[in-house]
Amino acid sequence: MSDPETNLESDASVPGQKWEDVARTAADVFSGGGDTHGTDLLRELIVFGLDGSAYAIAVEQIREIVRTRPLTRLPRSPDWLLGVMALRGEVVEVVDLRRRLGLPSAEPSRSSRIIVLHGDAERVTGILVDSVSEVYRVSEKFVRPAQGFEATSVTEICSRGDEFISILDPDRALGFQDV
Amino acid sequence: MAAKSSSPKSKKSKKKQANDNREFVAEAEEILERMFEDLLDLQEQRHGADEVDPDLVNRIFRSAHSLKGLAGMFGLDGIGEVAHHLEDILDGLRLGRLSVDSPAIALLDDGVSLLAKLTTGLDRSDASSTENAQATQAFIAQIEQAIQAPSPRISDELDELQIDPSLLRALTEYEEHRLRENIRRGRHITLVDSIFEIANFEEGLSELSGAVREVGEVVSILPSPGDVPESQIRFSLLVATEIDSDQLRDRLDYPNTTVQSVQREADSKDRSEDEAGAEPKSANPEGGDTASDTGPEAPDIGSLRSISDTVRVDVRKLDELMNLVGELVIQRNAIAGLATRLSTGAHTARIGAELTKTDKMLDRKLKELQSSVLDVRMVPLRQIFEKLSRVVRRLSRDLTKEVELDFKGADTELDKCIVEQLVDPLVHIVRNALDHALEPQEEREAAGKPGKGVIRIEAFQRGNHVVIEVEDDGRGMNLEAIRAKALASGLIGEDETLSRGEILNLVFEPGLSTAEGVSSTSGRGVGMDIVRSNLAEMGGMVDLATVEGRGTTVTITLPITLAIIKALFVRVGPERFAIPLNSVLETMALPPDEIGHSEGREIMNLRGEPLLLRRLCEEFEIVGAGRDENQFVVVLGMGEQRLGLLVDRLEGQQDAVIKPIKGPVQKIKGISGATELGDGTAILVIDVSAIVGDAVRRREAA
Repeated sequence: MSDPETNLESDASVPGQKWEDVARTAADVFSGGGDTHGTDLLRELIVFGLDGSAYAIAVEQIREIVRTRPLTRLPRSPDWLLGVMALRGEVVEVVDLRRRLGLPSAEPSRSSRIIVLHGDAERVTGILVDSVSEVYRVSEKFVRPAQGFEATSVTEICSRGDEFISILDPDRALGFQDV
Repeated sequence: MAAKSSSPKSKKSKKKQANDNREFVAEAEEILERMFEDLLDLQEQRHGADEVDPDLVNRIFRSAHSLKGLAGMFGLDGIGEVAHHLEDILDGLRLGRLSVDSPAIALLDDGVSLLAKLTTGLDRSDASSTENAQATQAFIAQIEQAIQAPSPRISDELDELQIDPSLLRALTEYEEHRLRENIRRGRHITLVDSIFEIANFEEGLSELSGAVREVGEVVSILPSPGDVPESQIRFSLLVATEIDSDQLRDRLDYPNTTVQSVQREADSKDRSEDEAGAEPKSANPEGGDTASDTGPEAPDIGSLRSISDTVRVDVRKLDELMNLVGELVIQRNAIAGLATRLSTGAHTARIGAELTKTDKMLDRKLKELQSSVLDVRMVPLRQIFEKLSRVVRRLSRDLTKEVELDFKGADTELDKCIVEQLVDPLVHIVRNALDHALEPQEEREAAGKPGKGVIRIEAFQRGNHVVIEVEDDGRGMNLEAIRAKALASGLIGEDETLSRGEILNLVFEPGLSTAEGVSSTSGRGVGMDIVRSNLAEMGGMVDLATVEGRGTTVTITLPITLAIIKALFVRVGPERFAIPLNSVLETMALPPDEIGHSEGREIMNLRGEPLLLRRLCEEFEIVGAGRDENQFVVVLGMGEQRLGLLVDRLEGQQDAVIKPIKGPVQKIKGISGATELGDGTAILVIDVSAIVGDAVRRREAA
């Protein structure tokens, strides 16, 4: 509880705050439509790494990004649920996104982050990812529906140079629709 | 108007409107239900006599008034307008402008039905709204016409009174109407004057008016400062009684009180005007000025003041407030930690001691704040009782079963959230009692019971819990029938021996409770599994006791509040949990050799009684919890049931704010929420009723 590592981790609200600001600015620009030229709409995505691949979630669906911190295990829960964390007066479940998506699980590292998703009232959720890299603004025309992925939580794919980013629908990823 | 504004709006605000409407409907339904009931009573009274109970009319008036206000708040103009016109009719009736047999009165029923239609229409599409709008306009026109219909002008009875006209002018329209009404009915009108000490005039005044009410009606209470010392205050009560003023004087034996008839005697009608005016003047020397001075206050008496005493607050706002207080409590814990650290440092000991002192003060104030906020959330059970009594009245009419409903402890208070969630289970239990448990009249009489059944509902506080008992004197439950049914549905085995309690508990099993066979033969059990699970969600329990042929008692035990609790913190292996202290009976160390075994389950001897044990580490599959070292047992009590929970260590008590756990995994059995410690860690709070209930069921199943 009192080792220096933990203290450092639980002090992470500063970078989290920064990310939130970035996210909010980005969301403002997006909804203000200031940067749209004709039909060339811009999308704001938070890009993160998971098992060596790039994934993204729309900025509007993200509340904040925090460092990993000690979690409280939740008994009688599925294995993809890492536990709960206290977050400024709320108690929020944290999901191991690797396991949830059927990828091999891994120990959190220094670059691991918890992305806190907005959600209606009871659905605020943290998801553990390997790293968060950037806010990526992408023109709508580079975004394609993810064909052949219907059954999964990846709904769209966008290209960045020669690399592809899988855009996740968090509700589907967390299985909210079948609860 | 509503239809027009909804179309161009975004999806989100439409959704909000729907939410708002639902909120409106919920409240409006309650008001309408009350109006229907009151109108029924009004009808009965109209057939009986030509005078109606003024309290009843006032009550209906207030309902219409609340509904109008509510509709205004939600911007529902149509409903507001209809309510407003109903108010007009009722006001006319209240003030005697309309007589009971006016055609307008007959419109009241139609009006309330229309309101009910408009209210339910809110839930549906806009298709019916134009039709409803037309119906509304037509109805309003009808009311306006009916109100204008000439009603016979009542001759001025007030001429009969020998009373200071300025006093009469101070009366509200309603009071004046009551005065005329009483004169018309030949009651004696008397002016009672009394001087009280300002310090405690309220008690004196209520005592005096209470004494008057025993024999008649207090038409008006008017303060009249007059010729009295500054520490005193004089009041004039205008009263109407069946007994004459001499008899009244004998009854009202209070100091500084004069009783004066203000009615002209038949034989003294020719007394001169001056002489007549002199009498009340002697009782009320500065009557003229007095009445106008106190004018703005006086008309309030008997009016709608009572509705403005309270403020409606959204429960969510209270939750926010509660959360803030909770966070303050957590911060305070952090300060306490700092203070301790400072106190142990060589150079900071003094400052640490100071901080500890300040922290103690802060803690005390926080506790006060906490309990005040909690107090705001507390509401008396009376609300539910009123609802239950309406349900029973309607149901007893439908079933043509006469029943006497007996409430006790309506002032017992519970957290608003709990009260809300308690309505459905209670309605269910009471409905069961009336529908199934109480026998038809002939059957009761044949069994030597009074023909009218009795349902007694009593609430009382026991420690940190509120207990609600619902008792009927019906046929009771047939244990054999329950057993047979459970056997048939495979809930229990052929050769199982069950105690009475265990058989009764089968009623709460889903498989059994929905079965028709039992409810028709033993008369109970429809949906009792739902009742139990609803109550368990609030951390409550339900118990049953029955004597065949004599009746059944359902006992509900609930925590007083869900929000802030005192909790016992325990450790099991690497994990910590909080247990609500209100369900902890005692704790003790338990050496391994004191753990006994019975039929494969662990038990201990608790002062001669066997106590079933459960290990928390097994319950929650915690690895690394010591099995062999000394354990501690936390004795849990829920309703009548006991369970010993084994943990590795006890870590003391602390206040805990229970928070819901947010995320994709909802409702984990055995966990009711989590609380945050000063250092930012989340600690899970154990759902005692689930753990105890589960253990007891498992014992029965074994």
